[in-house]
Amino acid sequence: MTSVLASAQGGTRADDVVLDVRDLRTYFHVMDGTVRAVDGVDFQIRRSGRLALVGESGCGKSVTALTIMRLIDQPPGEIASGEVWFDGRDLLTLPADQMRAVRGGEIAMIFQEPMTSLNPVLTVGDQIGEAVKLHQHLRDREAFEAAVQALRDVGVPAPERRVKQYPHELSGGMRQRVMIAMALSCRPKLLIADEPTTALDVTIQRQILELIKEIQERTGTALLLITHDLGVVAETVDEVVVMYAGRIVETGTVEEVLLEPRHPYTRGLLSSIPSRGKRGQRLSVIKGVVPNPFRMPPGCKFEPRCPYAWETSVQGEPTCAQNEPELLSLGDGRASRCWLHDPRFTGRLRDYERPTAGAEEAR
Amino acid sequence: MAERTVAVTADLTPAELEQLLLERPDYEVQLESLNQWQLAWRRFRRHRLALAGAALFLALVAIAIIGPFFVHYDYYEIPHPDELVYAGRPPSWISGDWDPPLLMGETARLQRDILGLVVNGARLSLVIGVGATIISVVIGAVWGGVAGYFGGWLDSVMMRIVDSLLTLPILFLILVAGKFLGRGDWPSVMLIFGLFGWLGLSRLVRSLFLSLREEDFVDAARAVGVSDGRIILRHILPNTLSPIIVAATLSVAGVIIGEAFVSFLGFGVDITQPTWGNVLTSSLDFLQQGNWWWAFFPGFAIVLTVLGINFMGDGLRDALDPRARI
Amino acid sequence: MIRYIVRRLLEAIPVVILTSVLIYGILLIAPGGPTARFAQNPRITGEQIAAFKHRWGLDQPIPIQYCRWAGICNPDGEGLGIFISNKGLPNILPEALGGGDNGMLHGDFGFSIVDGRPVTSVISERVVPTLILAGTAWLLWVVIAFLTGVYAAVRRYGLFDSALTVFNYVGFSLPTFWLGIMLIAVFASQLRIFPASGMWDTRTVPAFGTDRYWTLLGEDPGYVLTDLLRHLVLPVITLIVVSIAGDSRFVRSSMLDALNQDYVRTARAKGVPEWRVVTKHALRNALLPVVTNLGLEIPFLFTGAIATETIFSWPGMGRAFIQATNNYDYPVLMGILVITAIIVISANLLADILYAVVDPRISYG
Ligand SMILES: Nc1ncnc2c1ncn2[C@@H]1O[C@H](COP(=O)(O)OP(=O)(O)O)[C@@H](O)[C@H]1O
Ligand SMILES: [Mg+2]
Repeated sequence: MTSVLASAQGGTRADDVVLDVRDLRTYFHVMDGTVRAVDGVDFQIRRSGRLALVGESGCGKSVTALTIMRLIDQPPGEIASGEVWFDGRDLLTLPADQMRAVRGGEIAMIFQEPMTSLNPVLTVGDQIGEAVKLHQHLRDREAFEAAVQALRDVGVPAPERRVKQYPHELSGGMRQRVMIAMALSCRPKLLIADEPTTALDVTIQRQILELIKEIQERTGTALLLITHDLGVVAETVDEVVVMYAGRIVETGTVEEVLLEPRHPYTRGLLSSIPSRGKRGQRLSVIKGVVPNPFRMPPGCKFEPRCPYAWETSVQGEPTCAQNEPELLSLGDGRASRCWLHDPRFTGRLRDYERPTAGAEEAR
Repeated sequence: MAERTVAVTADLTPAELEQLLLERPDYEVQLESLNQWQLAWRRFRRHRLALAGAALFLALVAIAIIGPFFVHYDYYEIPHPDELVYAGRPPSWISGDWDPPLLMGETARLQRDILGLVVNGARLSLVIGVGATIISVVIGAVWGGVAGYFGGWLDSVMMRIVDSLLTLPILFLILVAGKFLGRGDWPSVMLIFGLFGWLGLSRLVRSLFLSLREEDFVDAARAVGVSDGRIILRHILPNTLSPIIVAATLSVAGVIIGEAFVSFLGFGVDITQPTWGNVLTSSLDFLQQGNWWWAFFPGFAIVLTVLGINFMGDGLRDALDPRARI
Repeated sequence: MIRYIVRRLLEAIPVVILTSVLIYGILLIAPGGPTARFAQNPRITGEQIAAFKHRWGLDQPIPIQYCRWAGICNPDGEGLGIFISNKGLPNILPEALGGGDNGMLHGDFGFSIVDGRPVTSVISERVVPTLILAGTAWLLWVVIAFLTGVYAAVRRYGLFDSALTVFNYVGFSLPTFWLGIMLIAVFASQLRIFPASGMWDTRTVPAFGTDRYWTLLGEDPGYVLTDLLRHLVLPVITLIVVSIAGDSRFVRSSMLDALNQDYVRTARAKGVPEWRVVTKHALRNALLPVVTNLGLEIPFLFTGAIATETIFSWPGMGRAFIQATNNYDYPVLMGILVITAIIVISANLLADILYAVVDPRISYG
């Protein structure tokens, strides 16, 4: 298992890494101040690897993805620092025309809203064909056939008829299939799916996830799945990166993160997923809301909502409210941004790891 | 318990307030209670252009009210009796002749101080602009309100009439009415502009009523037996005021321009009365003699007024109706 | 599609009828009416006025006058016979089917009270100059408003965008007629670059529309057309500045709206070059509200034409309208108003059809 941490601090890149994001910071300068939407994010995805970026809405997942694609509007946005190594190139310093060739050609992206993400005045075939024409330099006729084939690949029935239709003639699930067909039409090395199922019905969600997974396995493209729903990651990805308030708070393989969450935030996220084992129990949700970007807590960003946060009494010891923890490596590629994992607080960590330790008592 | 108290003076949305309370449960939050209009005033105050526009407009209103006491438009009793066609003097600051001081020069022919005409013209122009707008707002609100509230065939008939009238450039009708029905005094001109100016407004009010009548509070009022008239006046109308105020503001500007043009053509206020349009009437004929100041200053007064009103209207739109876009 | 157009045309019929009734009402409830112009003339006797009224049918009840004007009634008929044509069939039918030959429905707009000429010929000689002026203005208006609006949206907050915003505010506050006067003051009176009035140079070119005009146009088209263009410049500018100021702002916001849509992000994520994103993905969507707006704004073109033609003595319909109003020449007025209404209604219809063509979500049903 390769580390998902930015272990490559020395600058060496393992050859099987397709995307290597380092210390990414994206800020928005708006009227009321600066929003640090992404504030120091590092992660890697292996070739054909599958990684999920998880976190509540507003924690900076989409901005991370859009920064990788360099689709941030500047202004008001600013990519303040970082490197995005993709196939031996830093995308953030790539000339604009080369970056365009990467977009759609080597990295493709699917968005959350299939209803608004397709152009209402162009036919489906036109929109799929456009990508193929751009990146594979096909003629109109060939592009049309490629579009039909792409639709067939994603399981759209009667693709010859569908290519000539406009988005408003398709259902939400069908449109998301069109988006996937469009994204995959140029055989990208990396597919970024930003909440691809959030806007869909539950039954359709399943189908679309299955489709993404099946295609990923068939074509071997790497996958960056963005979701706020830990429930969908189990069967879809290998590794998980949990984000909170623009920072990574926990990383690990999907089994480790789901079964043994190290960060209180991840634990909170997990206990809010309905599951068979917990049937009959009350679902707990994390109290409170993500912090206002203009009034970030000075210490740990999760502290105001954290049931395990404590106030220290010992002079010189860091406190949750005042000192922000580092992303602490826990070995085996796991990491967690929480004072619990600081050697000084092993006693508290034992409390945390006691299976019965309810959130309320700990406070 | 509550050690720290913050008075929330900014206009937080309910969501923001909730967030604040969640973040800082130990804070006691005192919410300054602000009604819709106070909030709007806060937003308006922050709109610099709108403030400038309002200042400009108020200055003109002040000039219109008190100006005529200081500057008379028939400044000279006797025009040069010995000259057949008097050429008109340029502004003093151009000619250097300060006896008498002429800020905006003099008209040709009748030798009148343009400053006096412009200052006195402000009165009628503003009165007609505001008065006609009030008339059209009343008619438009009633017409559109009734059509939108009752709907059905009544709505179809009423709106078809509006549509028909809107297929004609309204100015055509105003000109014809001014000539055929007008009496050359300012109330009749105001009335004509008021009677033809409500069409667009009635459409706006109707669309607002159409959506508002589906709201729960209307059903609730109906369920307890409130009469239709009362529902329209007390429950729905107050909710339509913001867009109506914005549209009315912009309409004042439209009437001022329209009145000037109609009077300029001689179909509006009688030529013996000073309005900005009337002052301009013969100016075109004397342009060849280089009498540009005669045409320039009255028109410039119109532009300043309209600019001020438009700025104000934009600010009001942002303040009253933050979701609306251009 | 055909059915859609037919339905829209049928819907327009009551609108035209209602419009004509309304105009007729306004014209004829006027206290003096067409005879008001004789009031100041002491040499005209009461009998002469009565004869005048009888001659023009002004002694009839207004509904009958309207029906005669519209062609529903036969002016020669008596009693109920007024609905019957001279051929013994309903007067309202087309002439070829045995209907009457009078009234608007039969293409007869009556005669000018002032000089007795047929209204159709009074109007037809004024239509072309107005179409030349308004058509040129409309084309330039649309193109300029569109280009500036789109460019400002694409380069938002740039220098051009700021300049355009200032222009929009100021331009939108200008009274059209005063702008015309100022342009004359600067470019005609002071700088003498462009002529101040008229449509042709009266010293070197015969009156527009006469045979001699066409002959000269055939012999020396370069000269005649340059002359026409020189006379067009100031009126066209006058006519379009206010409209451009309003519309470029509208185009800009519509374009900004489109550029902020998710599908534009999708296009960029596909690697579509920025100019293609603008021209292919955003523009067509931004066009939708603009197209509707253009149709709705045709009346402003006519309003502007009145001001412009008056200021620049342009021999068009707007000027004819002012003259007819001044003379209480109500047959000419009615003619101009009905023609205008028909043009406006057709323009709106055209805009709707265009909208349906551009937007695949609209079905013609
Ligand atoms: N264009 C923008 N301008 C200002 N703030 C933005 C913009 N885009 C995103 N943000 C801010 O960045 C933060 C992260 O947003 P996002 O990445 O969309 O969250 P999510 O994790 O739900 O995808 C939010 O606080 C949001 O308000
Ligand atoms: Mg998102």
